[in-house]
Amino acid sequence: MGVVIGYIATLGVYFCIYNIFAFGLNIQFGYTGILDFTVITFMAVGGYLAGVAALGPEQPGTDIYYVLGLSLPWPVALLIGAAAAGAVGYLIGLIALRRLRSDYLAIVTLAAGSIVYGIVGNDTRLFDGFEGLVGVPQPLSGVLNLNPNDYTVVFLALCAVIMAVCWFLANRLYKSPLGRTMRAIREDLEVAEAYGKRTFRVRMSAMVIGSIYVGIGGVLTIWFVTSLAPAGWGTGETFVVWAALIVGGRGNNLGAVVGSFLVAVLFNEATRFLPAISSLPNLIPEIRNICIGGLVILTLWFRPQGVVAERKARFFVVPLQHGTVAGSAAAEVAVSGD
Amino acid sequence: MSLFLLTLGFGVVTASVLALASVGLSLQFGVTNYVNFAYGAYLAFGMFFTYTANTALHLPFWLAAAVGVVATGLVAVLINIAILEPFVRRGTSGFFLLIVTFGLSLVLLNAIQAIWGVGFDQFPIAAGSPIRLGPFSFTAAQLAIVVIAVMTLVAMHLLLTRTALGRAMRAMSDNPSLARASGIDTHRVTLWTWFISGSLAGLGGITLALNTVEFQAFTGNTFLFVIFGAVILGGIGQIYGAMVGALIIGLAVNLSGLVISSAYDLDVAFVFLVLALLLRPQGLIAARGKA
Amino acid sequence: MATETDDFAPATAVTPTDGLLVVAGLARRFGGVQALDGCSFAVEEGTITALIGPNGAGKTTLVNVVAGAIRPDSGRVYFAGQDITARPSHQIALRGLIRTFQLSREYPQLTVLENLMVSPQRQVGERLSVALLRPGRYRAQERAYLERAVQILDDFGLYGQRDEYAKNLSGGQKRLLELARAVMAGPRLLILDEPMAGINPALVDRLSAHMLRLRAEMSITFLMVEHNLDVVERLCDHVVVMAVGRTLATGTMAELRQNASVVTAYLTGGVADVRAES
Repeated sequence: MGVVIGYIATLGVYFCIYNIFAFGLNIQFGYTGILDFTVITFMAVGGYLAGVAALGPEQPGTDIYYVLGLSLPWPVALLIGAAAAGAVGYLIGLIALRRLRSDYLAIVTLAAGSIVYGIVGNDTRLFDGFEGLVGVPQPLSGVLNLNPNDYTVVFLALCAVIMAVCWFLANRLYKSPLGRTMRAIREDLEVAEAYGKRTFRVRMSAMVIGSIYVGIGGVLTIWFVTSLAPAGWGTGETFVVWAALIVGGRGNNLGAVVGSFLVAVLFNEATRFLPAISSLPNLIPEIRNICIGGLVILTLWFRPQGVVAERKARFFVVPLQHGTVAGSAAAEVAVSGD
Repeated sequence: MSLFLLTLGFGVVTASVLALASVGLSLQFGVTNYVNFAYGAYLAFGMFFTYTANTALHLPFWLAAAVGVVATGLVAVLINIAILEPFVRRGTSGFFLLIVTFGLSLVLLNAIQAIWGVGFDQFPIAAGSPIRLGPFSFTAAQLAIVVIAVMTLVAMHLLLTRTALGRAMRAMSDNPSLARASGIDTHRVTLWTWFISGSLAGLGGITLALNTVEFQAFTGNTFLFVIFGAVILGGIGQIYGAMVGALIIGLAVNLSGLVISSAYDLDVAFVFLVLALLLRPQGLIAARGKA
Repeated sequence: MATETDDFAPATAVTPTDGLLVVAGLARRFGGVQALDGCSFAVEEGTITALIGPNGAGKTTLVNVVAGAIRPDSGRVYFAGQDITARPSHQIALRGLIRTFQLSREYPQLTVLENLMVSPQRQVGERLSVALLRPGRYRAQERAYLERAVQILDDFGLYGQRDEYAKNLSGGQKRLLELARAVMAGPRLLILDEPMAGINPALVDRLSAHMLRLRAEMSITFLMVEHNLDVVERLCDHVVVMAVGRTLATGTMAELRQNASVVTAYLTGGVADVRAES
């Protein structure tokens, strides 16, 4: 029984984490139209920084090398991870958001992600290179002293709370005038600029907030699995988040949730539990990646708006000063033909 | 000094590989007006088709390479007909085409890895003893790369300037609506563009594999960022710009290896990409008359 | 009397205070094409000024330079006496100079009402901290904007379409939305790039009536690029004629009809002829 609960809770944790990733990408891409092809890099930055903030000092003779090692409490580590992801998002944005062309932006994000990957992998002094960090302490595990399955349930509760806060704030942003301006920039950057919008600044806000979201997801990831290595955050992982958002419905946080459930949980995480063929250990992940890439292409062909399409913003009805509305609106329809 | 010149020689080889691949990407980018993020997989197709033709079908290497080049060109055309062209016809914005090619790269690279395996392969040809040319020293393969690159680029120049197809490609690259209005069969030109782009990717992949000796499914994709650097430095759609960009980045990547570890090759290319974007986003050779 | 600009006259024949918008000696080259070649003129406050000229005269380039979308190689732009040359477009817009684009450029996936709600500048709710943490602080302003937007939509006969996605409007409705959205920004000067192109005569009349109304009610000054000379004659107080990147003549339409070089420019559009005439 405990095993089953643990298994379900594990899927629940991944569901929450992918929701946060998808909210972050939604703020960048769905709201603002930023093609961030390196989403997962922010997850790694958040995870690593929270990891080295929480780990104790590097032990000589263990062959595990990393920077910092501050033994900080977990809430502080969470803040550090989120801030670091935001800072990296800011740096990438400084280059990528300067140019109007969306293809330049996509290239720069993809290239920057690959640079971070190369540096983290090759420079073993930062986060132990391709071996990665291990043994990152889990929040409250020392205090609670639970068996792993019960701990997973507690951890799920923590993830759910953080996810709910992220969802709430993302929706609030969407409905705000700032969110509206972000969507106007998504629709036509040049026009928004001509209407006095500081498009660079607004896009940078979206870039940084999105990065922070993904970074928070990264912190939760490293807490849950207690380790993080470059193999866990390749381009394929970025695409899982993209697939979740595209399949679920971009521009809509409910779509992000549905997509995370369909792609990241049902499909992606469930296939991890399939038995691997021992002679072909890579076949399952290969097929998984092929399917996820294909799923996005098919979705864009058959249902480009996603399962849950973006909803229209509704304003509460405001009474007009005078009573000509019905008449003029009716007249308009007659004139509207070109 | 001799190490510097020796490295300069290797830089020319890298630049040759890069030029082949960059011209192919830039040409297609210019004509179809969207980036193909799956281009790294096309390089891999070139490598593995050649590898299979050479090792399994026992064709001589040069013939296997020719098969690899043509087959990659055909794959590029097929992918365009089956997947990309339908999206373009429907009027999908460039935005979503980028996501489609990004997804395509994931599909193709993993398919290649599933078919040909994760391990490193290498072409079964003897490296031979180094050939000395004054202060430079090359393997036979490296010399062949430079010669092939120069011949191919000259052929590309002739194609673009002397043939109706080449002029049509340039017209579509400069002004697509005007090109259509002036009676160019844009569909046919687009197909040829994909064939040439794919073939150049194949050739770029093969020469890359010869230069790095060992290769696997993702070798071409890693190189993709260096290609992007050359293409953006040269100006998108600018064939000659791509050649110049390739020369600059090819030399820079190799010469920087004298100062810092060659593990940071990608980062050097990235620095150039960033500098190009910040200082000269329209490319070294700016497009003419575009308002 | 129509004044013809002399080829040898200094480019700064106008001074910054000659009008609400003053363009002095603007030049811009694209590759081998001299799109603007020392263009100078003034738009007086309270007028509806037309900018006419043959294709390739540099009208759209001029609009782009004035609005800050393209940097000029030389020359200056003054708005309300202030030098705004090569300022970023958003800064120029904040000063009250709003431009529309040649083709309808509505925000397609935003509703008609939202298209207007984006326009007000420096909204309280556009600040990140307010948007995320203190949404109560923008409610009052949002409601005021909403009332204004609804009123403007009603004025333009688009109230019934307020919750429709802008992309679903007809071509004519999109043109009205473009103007309504610009009005929502509260501009002092509105630059319209071919607002009447490709629309039916009834709608031309309606747009014209709206422009006259906006000038009277909101004292908006207009500069409009236009090809339809009948519209120009009926609507505009003042006309600026451009050819080959420079000002060829200015004056009322009636005056310009008497001007041989203007007629030649329209008939031939050729460089040599224009120069020969002047």
